[in-house]
Amino acid sequence: MIEFERHALSNGLKVIVHNDDSTPMVTTNLLYDAGSRDEDPEATGFAHLFEHLMFEGSDNVPVFDTPVMLAGGENNAFTNNDITNYYITLPANNLEIALWLESDRMVSLDLSESRLATQKSVVTEEFRQRYLNQPYGDIFLLLRPLAYRVHPYMWAAIGKDISHIEKADSISARQFYRRHYSPSSAILSVAGTAKPDVVFRMAEKWFGDIPPSEKIARVLPEEPKQKEHREITVYRDVPATQLIMAFHTGGRESRDFYILDLLTDILSGCDSGRFPSLLVRKKELFSDADIYLSGEIDPGLVIFSGRLKSGIDIKKAEAAVMNELNTLASEPVTAAELEKARNRYESLRLMSYLSAANKAFGLAFHELLGDADGINTEIDRYMSVTAEEIIDSSARTFTSDNCSVIHYLPLLK
Amino acid sequence: MKRHNVQQPPVIITPSAGETAFPETVSLSNGVPVYLLGKGTVDLLRIEFVADAGQRREKVHMASSTANAMLTEGSGNHDAITLNDLIDSTGAVFNHSADKETASLIMITLSRKLEEVTALAEEVLFHPSFPETEFRMLIDKRIQAFLTGRQKTSVIGREEYYRALCGNDNPYGRVTKLEDYQSITTEAIREFHSLHYRPDNIYITVAGRDPEKALPVLEKYFSGNGTGLWHEPDMPELAFETAKTGRIFAEVGNSVQSAVRMGWAGISRDHPDYQGLQVANMILGGYFGSRLMRNIREEKGYTYGINSVVGAFHGLGYIAIMTEVANNYREETLMEIKKEIIKLCRDEVGQDELSIVRNHFMGEIARMFDGPFNSAETIRGIIDYNTGHDYFARFVETVKTITPGKIKELFNTYFNIDNSFEIIAGAK
Repeated sequence: MIEFERHALSNGLKVIVHNDDSTPMVTTNLLYDAGSRDEDPEATGFAHLFEHLMFEGSDNVPVFDTPVMLAGGENNAFTNNDITNYYITLPANNLEIALWLESDRMVSLDLSESRLATQKSVVTEEFRQRYLNQPYGDIFLLLRPLAYRVHPYMWAAIGKDISHIEKADSISARQFYRRHYSPSSAILSVAGTAKPDVVFRMAEKWFGDIPPSEKIARVLPEEPKQKEHREITVYRDVPATQLIMAFHTGGRESRDFYILDLLTDILSGCDSGRFPSLLVRKKELFSDADIYLSGEIDPGLVIFSGRLKSGIDIKKAEAAVMNELNTLASEPVTAAELEKARNRYESLRLMSYLSAANKAFGLAFHELLGDADGINTEIDRYMSVTAEEIIDSSARTFTSDNCSVIHYLPLLK
Repeated sequence: MKRHNVQQPPVIITPSAGETAFPETVSLSNGVPVYLLGKGTVDLLRIEFVADAGQRREKVHMASSTANAMLTEGSGNHDAITLNDLIDSTGAVFNHSADKETASLIMITLSRKLEEVTALAEEVLFHPSFPETEFRMLIDKRIQAFLTGRQKTSVIGREEYYRALCGNDNPYGRVTKLEDYQSITTEAIREFHSLHYRPDNIYITVAGRDPEKALPVLEKYFSGNGTGLWHEPDMPELAFETAKTGRIFAEVGNSVQSAVRMGWAGISRDHPDYQGLQVANMILGGYFGSRLMRNIREEKGYTYGINSVVGAFHGLGYIAIMTEVANNYREETLMEIKKEIIKLCRDEVGQDELSIVRNHFMGEIARMFDGPFNSAETIRGIIDYNTGHDYFARFVETVKTITPGKIKELFNTYFNIDNSFEIIAGAK
């Protein structure tokens, strides 16, 4: 049980505190309800570029990192399709430094042209390093526009293309900042050695005077039900063929999410899962075979990804995967498989929440979903998954018409 | 938007490294040392078994990593699928890995499954069967990974770095070739395993809540006898070629970025300058606000990241600066790296910058000892390198007392740009 207290400021900032005095440190996690799904389709990658700008200094903090380091802390951030998330871990007696820093960049960020120019260049290199200069690095740049036709999940958080980052300007940066970086779009979660009433007082002091921005409801196009099999083939300079198959499923709060999250653990969460046992060891079709949920808030994907052993025909490999998935739609998983998945869930959850930083993020994320207490109650949502639900969910999900496939092949030499 | 209510910033409290004491040590009846790291808050135990079975012990290249990777691929009692199913069903996680120095198996288990999981760990560590089918599968998979690595500038850059540093005949520097996968055999792995995974040639760390409760179970499964106790590593005499100087270029197909590295031989961990050199390195390229990051990422925008490290194997220290940049920035990048080094050799760092680095180190050390699981990782470094139980106490002292003059002296002694070597891996 992760206990916490909650408080909302009058400007809309939600504050959550979990006291864990087994650590001398404290983590502040500030989650902004803004991700790449909130971008203009002609200016993608912006939310992530903006995350970089958040480290470029604000009115009272010329260099963001300096006070963090002086306070003995470390900090970072990430952007995904749904959110942008910032965290600072530092000795508990310097907690107020973190709140001061976060409040200053929430309200008075330096958005000068020169800062923007540098970060555009850095992000361009990040795009190259992580997506273009890596064998298999562009798979998600290919998969998203194949699986999605209208929803903004059709682009990755890094953006569709380097050219979008190159043309970002400071006017759009200001607009993005005003619209999304406001206390009413943020959740502040604090975990570690921290007394709730003290944190609430500090939050009032540092964030209380920041005005909320006008709340503009998020209106995103709903992805229509996929009704036809989609498939593309690409050739790249890679040594082995990779097969990617993606199926549409429900959002983070749907029942299907929990059913399929547990199911994918049964299939490939550990070495004795069905896919490593059957597709890798017994049939020797793949050298690895993995299936997982993309995990977004809006309806997401179940993604299979496997690298073929040399000499294996991709159609044969694909048929074998479909065969395993179809079996799930008719035959129940065994009691032993369910028991194993539940045991694993229990211990992996404990491992994850050993870290105060993970608890801080988990609380903020569940609060965004609707209730921070989800961090505690979602155990029941996993433990209650039945073999019948898995059959039902599999039958609806793993159909050919709901599937987008990439055949990622070595260049013909 | 200006803040309408600007307040005095809070005062920063100078961070302290906190408790860095070496943990309580006990022994099993066969003499195997067990280090106990308590104060866990949840019902999980992390038990790590470390064997003196790293790459440095190899006579056949890859024997160490292959033997380690094969530990869970079948035992005298169970085939690979059954064995993995037994492990996974308990909810436990087994992580096994081999590095240049030692090899280890980490088991993380729910406390209530301790005995069951410990019995499996014993089976995995000491009774692997190394079946031929699983061995072939592993090798095939590794060949795929190896071939993928040929297209990664970062991988080629790293390999060329170690080769330049240690020479190709030294187990620390040896670069894997495709032929190595063809020549390794299960016999070679069996031999490596029987020589280096012995019941009494390991040490154990136990971390979590009430770690002493694990002792009877460890005694039951791990008190067997062998031919010699875990000891301060009795190192083979390894020949290190002196690091080469000058430029090494390795072509990587159509890469859009190049890996750029610069390096020197360094000093051993027991050298009186070793800890001071850590501080100097932090200033140059050891954190987000370092000289290199500020110049090459934050001012020039040449790279997503650049950093430098100071480390040491047994018998050889090393210094490395590494980054990945667009092909057309690589010469400018090397030039800027050298400029930053020259500045640090010429001018003393200011007290402000030194304070940032000092405080950052204190926070780092506090995090390294934050909770039993982190502490277990930290003390493994102390034991494996035999750096002394007071290593971090001394380190804290060094960080607190080092002067700008000493730092400048360290740069002049160890970062001589005229005898460095440079690696570029990328397109022509």
